[in-house]
Amino acid sequence: MRGLGYLFKEGIKNVWNNRMMSLASIGVLVSCLIITGAAVLLSLNVNSVVDSVGRENQVTVFLDDDIKELEAVMEIGPQIRSLDNISECEFYSKDEAIAELRDELGNLFSELQGDDNPLPHSFHVTMVDLSQYEDTVKNIAKVDGVYKISDRSDVANKLTSLNTLVTQIGLWIVIVLGIISLFIISNSIRMTMYSRRFEISIMKSVGATDWFVRVPFIIEGIVLGLISGIISSAIIAFLYEGIISAVQYIIPFSEIAYSDVAFNMTFSFIILGMAVGALGAAISIGRYLKMEGGEILGW
Amino acid sequence: MIQFKNVSKTYPNGTHALNNVNINIEKGEFVFIVGASGAGKSTFLKLIMKEEQPSSGEITINGVNTTNMKRRKVPYLRRTMGIVFQDFRLIDKMTVFENVAFAMRVIGARPRAVKKRVLYILGLVGLKDKAKCRPAELSGGEQQRVSLARALVNNPSIIIADEPTGNIDPEMSFEIIELLNEINKQGTTIIVVTHEHELVQKFKNRVIEINNGQVVSDSGAPAEKVEVPIEISQEDLAEIPEEIAEEIADVSAAELSEEALQAIVQGEVEDE
Repeated sequence: MRGLGYLFKEGIKNVWNNRMMSLASIGVLVSCLIITGAAVLLSLNVNSVVDSVGRENQVTVFLDDDIKELEAVMEIGPQIRSLDNISECEFYSKDEAIAELRDELGNLFSELQGDDNPLPHSFHVTMVDLSQYEDTVKNIAKVDGVYKISDRSDVANKLTSLNTLVTQIGLWIVIVLGIISLFIISNSIRMTMYSRRFEISIMKSVGATDWFVRVPFIIEGIVLGLISGIISSAIIAFLYEGIISAVQYIIPFSEIAYSDVAFNMTFSFIILGMAVGALGAAISIGRYLKMEGGEILGW
Repeated sequence: MIQFKNVSKTYPNGTHALNNVNINIEKGEFVFIVGASGAGKSTFLKLIMKEEQPSSGEITINGVNTTNMKRRKVPYLRRTMGIVFQDFRLIDKMTVFENVAFAMRVIGARPRAVKKRVLYILGLVGLKDKAKCRPAELSGGEQQRVSLARALVNNPSIIIADEPTGNIDPEMSFEIIELLNEINKQGTTIIVVTHEHELVQKFKNRVIEINNGQVVSDSGAPAEKVEVPIEISQEDLAEIPEEIAEEIADVSAAELSEEALQAIVQGEVEDE
């Protein structure tokens, strides 16, 4: 396409000539992108926590109090192992359990040994596929001699529902801010078009195609989006580590390293910014392209 | 070249701007369009440029029927015409060179071609040494010549000038029309809308008068000039000194050539 260099220069000139409005657009778009990014990162982190909790989804199967060790190992163990979706099933005797408690809590439990031990025998069961978790738990419960199954799925469930909530709220914020950014950008470009209406009218009278009239403004929108994308990914990168370590100080958890997501984050910020910019520009241009001669100049 | 066949134009607000107009302008003609303001001259130009759509009738430009032309083809139609405005419409923050170059750039001309052509055209209108000036530094006549250079730069086959002399002093006006005449000699069709009778009389070109949306007189193409009877209005007669009026009265209007009439009228003007 001929004249693209010229059109590109014109687009960048627009950004500069209209710098107050450009600044406003960039400000709004940057805030929108940062909030979007924050929501995405929060969701990623919650997900990672849910995952790590999920990965520990080893259930403890407590046996009835009157089950002896031999019966447990010889009969109940194989029964559990024969169920679907079981990868490991490790016997854990009441003596081992009390010993562990004693290690953790000291001599408080020193009297509760041998026959006084109130703890039951148990199995630590690990599953193959976590999505079949509920079914597997039900099946284990059906096995004779199983008293109770304890697990951490409630924690995982709570985190998952928290994650869903975060995602939903985040999505709404992003949609609302997206519309606001679009509005601000399209207004900014409408201002540029207004200030350049004279040139547009001349362009049309000498036979510039719609494409030629449109491109500098689309480029203006894209440049605004590009700048916003770069600024917001820089800000996010700068703030992320700080916020994460502050949160970890209160609630320890395994975070996602920014370097893992840096490329995707930056890339999507820039693409998203440019897309909003281009769309915002396209919205305002349509109106001007349909006008002719004096109409453009408002006569 | 330009053909209007039973063209009418009614605006959405109900104004009947043109009413059943038939005009035929041949390639290479120089035509003045005259008429009072609101007569329909501007609508006539807008229809040629396809800024407006006729309500009925047919318009043919360069052998192409533009009546139902697709929107995306309109820019290419406009590249065949150069337009000169009364208010020059120059971009203040650009130099003379850039203003003219702008018209080439926005239709995608190569930078090297732009430079060569713009300098050539500026030479043609006598503004080569003003290339680096801003429009504000120029006189009205010079600004109009820049506007004309811009209209010419894409090598159009038609030049449309809407009151090109409206904002400049009479001497400069004469110069501008003279320049248009020169361009016309190269084969470019020229249409000039004006209400300055003096200019029209000075240059012996075809004159089409539009009033109330209708063609009220057309001096015809140059070849037909002699056959068209000259109409002398009461006002014209009143302006002519008695002794000359008597002379005219002796000859019937139909026999009087336009040139002879103009010689009489001009002589009278010069006497003043």
